[in-house]
Amino acid sequence: MSLHINPQMKRRYAAEKRFKAYAITALTLAGAFLIFFFADMISKGFPALQQAEILVDVHYNDTSKQNYKKAVDKPLRRIVSRGYLRTLPLYMEDHPELMGTNESRWVLATADVDQYLKGKPHRLKSKYQKQIDELLKAEKVRLAFNTGFFTRGDSKMAELAGIRSAVIGSIYVLFLTMIFALPIGVMTAVYLEEFAPDNRLTQVIEVNINNLAAIPSILFGLLGLAIFINFFGAPRSSALAGGLTLALMTLPIVIITTRAALQAVPDSIREAAFGLGASRWQTVWHHVLPLAMPGILTGSIIGLAQAMGETAPLLIVGMMAYVPDAPGNILEAATVLPAQIYTWAGESIRAYEERTAAAILVLLSVLLSLNTMAVYLRKHFEKRW
Amino acid sequence: MDTPKVSIHDLKLWYGESEALHGINVAFSEKKVTALIGPSGCGKSTLLRCLNRMNDRIPECHIEGKVLLDGDDIYAPEVDVVQLRTHIGMVFQKPNPFPKSIYENVAYAPRIHGLAKNGPDMDELVETALRKASIWKEVKDKLQSPGTALSGGQQQRLCIARTIAVKPNVILMDEPCSALDPIATAKIEELMDELKQEFTIIMVTHSMQQAARISDHTAFFYMGNLIEFGETGTIFTQPEKQQTEDYITGRFG
Repeated sequence: MSLHINPQMKRRYAAEKRFKAYAITALTLAGAFLIFFFADMISKGFPALQQAEILVDVHYNDTSKQNYKKAVDKPLRRIVSRGYLRTLPLYMEDHPELMGTNESRWVLATADVDQYLKGKPHRLKSKYQKQIDELLKAEKVRLAFNTGFFTRGDSKMAELAGIRSAVIGSIYVLFLTMIFALPIGVMTAVYLEEFAPDNRLTQVIEVNINNLAAIPSILFGLLGLAIFINFFGAPRSSALAGGLTLALMTLPIVIITTRAALQAVPDSIREAAFGLGASRWQTVWHHVLPLAMPGILTGSIIGLAQAMGETAPLLIVGMMAYVPDAPGNILEAATVLPAQIYTWAGESIRAYEERTAAAILVLLSVLLSLNTMAVYLRKHFEKRW
Repeated sequence: MDTPKVSIHDLKLWYGESEALHGINVAFSEKKVTALIGPSGCGKSTLLRCLNRMNDRIPECHIEGKVLLDGDDIYAPEVDVVQLRTHIGMVFQKPNPFPKSIYENVAYAPRIHGLAKNGPDMDELVETALRKASIWKEVKDKLQSPGTALSGGQQQRLCIARTIAVKPNVILMDEPCSALDPIATAKIEELMDELKQEFTIIMVTHSMQQAARISDHTAFFYMGNLIEFGETGTIFTQPEKQQTEDYITGRFG
């Protein structure tokens, strides 16, 4: 026996190195794409966290209550957000004690002023550019933290547009998806895996469930439209219609992951319980389900995260709409984060670009935290035997 | 022969189309250890699992014949499998404690069967079971630690404690020592010797020495047939059949 490296061994080692190199290249490429994507989104979305404001004297009086434009002096009317001024009469109604006074306060500037300050493409006339430059010297213009982005709903005026209504819509939809898809999905999987006899019928059901998981999601939208809206009369664009539709889409994923988690529970545990005289239900409820729980949770969260990022089926049930006000209940018109992103991405005004990127960042961080939670739950609840 | 606790009459068993047991007739005496021996695939484990109807879980398994426990047919339609398994307990080949605490492992079955209420009653029951399985001394200070953290031999004794906590009449053991080292095996064998004061034990084993050491009766199976059954001493020293002698002396199997 020779212990020296012979040509055949050399070839084997070379093949091993080559294979490793391929794998590393693939991984680096994937990582590079990811980093590029994140860097692009963060650099584009970050400016949206700041919004231009101008320090102006606001006049609270009957004239300005009748004509909101008159609340500020004439030269400022073109650079102060009209949408913001429009809210002043209501403000005055709520605070009658302010009537007849002047207040120096920071008010929202137009989107063009905002973009001009951030050095981005804008349509601000040179006259107003000079005005802004002067105000800047007098420290009467600033870029402040954009709380409005989180506290306001969608708007046709870019400086007023925020994600609040979309976030609340997403929460409603996701909640409905969860309470419909999880119990039905988990119970279906438990029945199929632990109780159902293995016959033609259950095999057909199994094949169909696997098929459903692979169906393009837009078809679920059509199904949702046909069943929930047309047949059961759920209001169009409502969180109820959207949640139920996404629940349909998430069901197969929940069923498949739950079955996999149940299959991973060793049969010796079932035998032990049966051998002690536990009934089938007791065996499942006391022993099998707790052991399968980490897997079920992980699968469900990943299914929900997928539902949260889904847009296509919601397009069909009418959630891709201009919804400025957050829905008050599940029957009111609502939109969701990905739909909001889609709507903004299609806007022609450039100021929406950074808002689109910022909304994508919000969606991504929510999805990322959901997936992190899934990993944590699996690690935390995992039991060894 | 003593009073039979469990008797099997012309038991035939099929897995789908293939017949695994060809009409077995045998009776197991009360408070004795009976060893079932034979080469792999001879049907001894299958037979053992017929005795607490564990084979019910296999959909294509089909059974004919009678198994009597104290004269009652356990395959009669009115028999409740769950009840039956409280009378006939089972210890498996690989120790399979629940991934719960030692206490919970033992207390689980008495609780679901309503044998004791949580509290002092249950504590006492758990202690008695653990004492009977001679594992009390080793675990009394860590009853709340997981049963799966014990060594293999301790896990198997915990499984025995868990089984006797239900107070069965018969304990089935399916190669209880095959996953254990010689020292752990010796402890289990010692334990079985004590347990037969109280329980009827039917055990499948691959070790001739083990069968010779601890069983009162031995049944030799081959190809789904019961070849020979009798006192262990007789089977190992003067077997009637040539096949039995060949197997015991190691000429085949």
